[in-house]
Amino acid sequence: MNWPTARGRTFAALVAAGLLLGACSFEQDPAASTGAGADSSFSIAIGIDLDTLDPAGQTTTTVQNVVDYMVEPLVKEQDGQIVGHLAESFQTSPDGLTIDLTLRQGVTFHDGTPFNAEAVVFNLQRITDPNLRVPLGAPFEVMQSVTTTGEHSVRIALKQPSPIFLKALTITPAGMISPASVQAEGNTYDSYQHPVGTGPYTFTTFTAGQSLTVTKFPGYWGQQPHYETVEFRIVPEAATRESLLLAGQVDMIILPPVSDLQALRNNPEVNVILGESDRTIYIAFDNVDPLLSNPQVRQALNYAVDKQAIVDNVLFGAAKVVDAPMSPALFGYCPTGSYGYDPERAKQLLAAAGAQGASLELFTPSGRYVQDQQASEAIAGYLREAGLTVKVTTSDWGAYLGRVNAPHSENTVDMHLLGWAPGYLDASVQMQMFRSATHPPTGLGTAFYTNPRVEELLAQADREIDQGAREQQYCDASKIIWEEAPWIFLWTQSFPVVHAAGVTGIATTPTEKFDALYARPAS
Amino acid sequence: MKGTTAHIVRTLLLSLITLFGVSVLIFLMLRVLPGDPARVLAGLDASAEQVDRLRAELGLDQPLLSQYWSFISGVLQGDLGTSARTSRPVSLEIVARMPATLTLAAVATLIGSVVGITAGVVAAVRRNSLVDHVISSVAVMGVSMPVYWLGLLLILLFAVTLGWLPAAGAEGPTSIVLPAATLGAFSTALVSRMTRASMLEVLGQDYIRTAQAKGAPARTVIVKHGLRNAFIPVLTVISLQFGALLGGAVLTETVFGWPGIGRLLVDSISARDFAVVQGLVLVYALLFVLLNVFVDVLYVVVDPRIRY
Repeated sequence: MNWPTARGRTFAALVAAGLLLGACSFEQDPAASTGAGADSSFSIAIGIDLDTLDPAGQTTTTVQNVVDYMVEPLVKEQDGQIVGHLAESFQTSPDGLTIDLTLRQGVTFHDGTPFNAEAVVFNLQRITDPNLRVPLGAPFEVMQSVTTTGEHSVRIALKQPSPIFLKALTITPAGMISPASVQAEGNTYDSYQHPVGTGPYTFTTFTAGQSLTVTKFPGYWGQQPHYETVEFRIVPEAATRESLLLAGQVDMIILPPVSDLQALRNNPEVNVILGESDRTIYIAFDNVDPLLSNPQVRQALNYAVDKQAIVDNVLFGAAKVVDAPMSPALFGYCPTGSYGYDPERAKQLLAAAGAQGASLELFTPSGRYVQDQQASEAIAGYLREAGLTVKVTTSDWGAYLGRVNAPHSENTVDMHLLGWAPGYLDASVQMQMFRSATHPPTGLGTAFYTNPRVEELLAQADREIDQGAREQQYCDASKIIWEEAPWIFLWTQSFPVVHAAGVTGIATTPTEKFDALYARPAS
Repeated sequence: MKGTTAHIVRTLLLSLITLFGVSVLIFLMLRVLPGDPARVLAGLDASAEQVDRLRAELGLDQPLLSQYWSFISGVLQGDLGTSARTSRPVSLEIVARMPATLTLAAVATLIGSVVGITAGVVAAVRRNSLVDHVISSVAVMGVSMPVYWLGLLLILLFAVTLGWLPAAGAEGPTSIVLPAATLGAFSTALVSRMTRASMLEVLGQDYIRTAQAKGAPARTVIVKHGLRNAFIPVLTVISLQFGALLGGAVLTETVFGWPGIGRLLVDSISARDFAVVQGLVLVYALLFVLLNVFVDVLYVVVDPRIRY
């Protein structure tokens, strides 16, 4: 551009002035829109990147936790009971084959679309659409049809009675998104990255690898949250999350370094919540292996390990030793037994089975679960004391799954450590691990365990509508499994959350989610 | 200059072969990795049918040759595919993360060059003095200190104790200070060692003694006669270091929650998100080729005696 100097200068001055004005109004905007609560933003540091914001595409608990701020389910689980949420009430027919939902009225999605029966039909059909990837969609495949029976009522017909169907409706993939939104905001039906739900917060911005911000939805039907905006910051390193909190740059973090839990508890500036979790950590044996197919050997290895000592010293107390093949948080749990630390008994059992000095490989993930590899090393130490030769090996998660998920003819793993956290609190999910139908490569029943009586009980429980009878079936199956010890039963992991002492109203759920929707300054 | 242009064109043409080789290598390396990508992506709870469906959706049930063909024909049309993990286009994923990586690499390299060259020149001129010993010891520390540890220490001091700087993230201009300083520490150390060694060699040359003898000011002797002649190996180290940083400094990005491509690459490898890994490695290879050409040109600028 070859303007005369004077004109050029005037132009530049005008541009500069415009920019300045623009900057000013931009600075003022957020302040102007802030309502009663003056300092009205809450930030949470989480550890993993958000892979997909489509409720249907969810696999990871923490990502679901974020999506839950924007998208709500039809029903919720509260103290072990299913209670209405977007569906005000629900009625299951005596034969268990139809469920009638009565929807809450006066609810709108963030884009103004009314929440009604059609929206429910759209969503439930979407998560059972074979052309859409719904990783956690298995429990919905039991649906025969879903139809509107009125503006605010829906009937779901099932192929067979399913005692867990309503529980499955509580999970994030069954959350309700606006039918109009799959073709708006840059979304498509199968690439849905700008969630539009009915929740108390609306999607605002997402910077991949860095942060996601949500803003309060003024039209929310339920109780309004305190904070105007909530920012989720993606910080993969636990020590950095801890520093952010201690520096006052975030209000809350999940999963601090466990080795610092004690120091954080002693710090008056922060509060530590050691949440109960339904994630069971265990060592699965190859139950078909000539040596490990002997239950005596498997019991011996259970007696050989001092689990409590490992929880105290390797996991810094952030776990609870289990007394059943599942977490106490699950429906169907009953206290089943205990394998107390008894090295003498372990040696006797190994001698009786002719297994002294046997050589075994213990395969462990590294960094997937709290102190996983360190715990494996400690377990190997105990097994060596019992007279076995144990080699600990590890690999990256993808290769790890590939190896433990290989069919038995190609499977070379003697023992491996895994963690399992049911997405909804029901024993049926946990018990998948003990059924021949899930033996690799079909599923993750990586212990290759099966027992005819257990299979029978679990098949009964699958269709049992009487919840009392179902609970007993799981308890009976648990006792057989405990006695036969297809795993070294270890512990349920805790879910630590730490927040600034100046905030209150924060809790955790046993599904490893934080509940900070109604966080507010402590008065 | 004509020879230089021809050289650049020749290099770029040859690099097409390099890029083709890279595409074949990364494609095959991913396929021999243990672990079924469909199973890893579908999640622990997925049924066998879901895993099979996903495998078909990703084309992983096709023969290798046809998988490679659909990959490379997409690339030639400017389409790097779709991320299996996020269902967003790979090109968008890379574009979203690239600026953070470029900025961090550039600032860290700038710190490394300015501080490193200065320290190296001072150490060489004051050879065997206290200053030289201090600079050399600090440089050895800088090269051998794990960035993980240095990063956490800097966070503790500047974010937690002093409260001056953000501990993590890439929001606001101050957020780059700690990650760039951490990353720059290694470059600084490397560059200062190289500068010192190269300067010592040049300062022993006859023309330096001549310059001193004819009464040229010390500054002119050191910078114009000394540094300029010692600069070629230093430039090589800087450009190699910059190239390495372009690939993403995974550890630094992890410690500081910096949204660069290093973390994206590692996350994608462990999730077996083949399309993203292939796309990133190709882009990375291309950047390296361009960087090399750029450095070739810089050589000519720095040392006019160089002819291609």
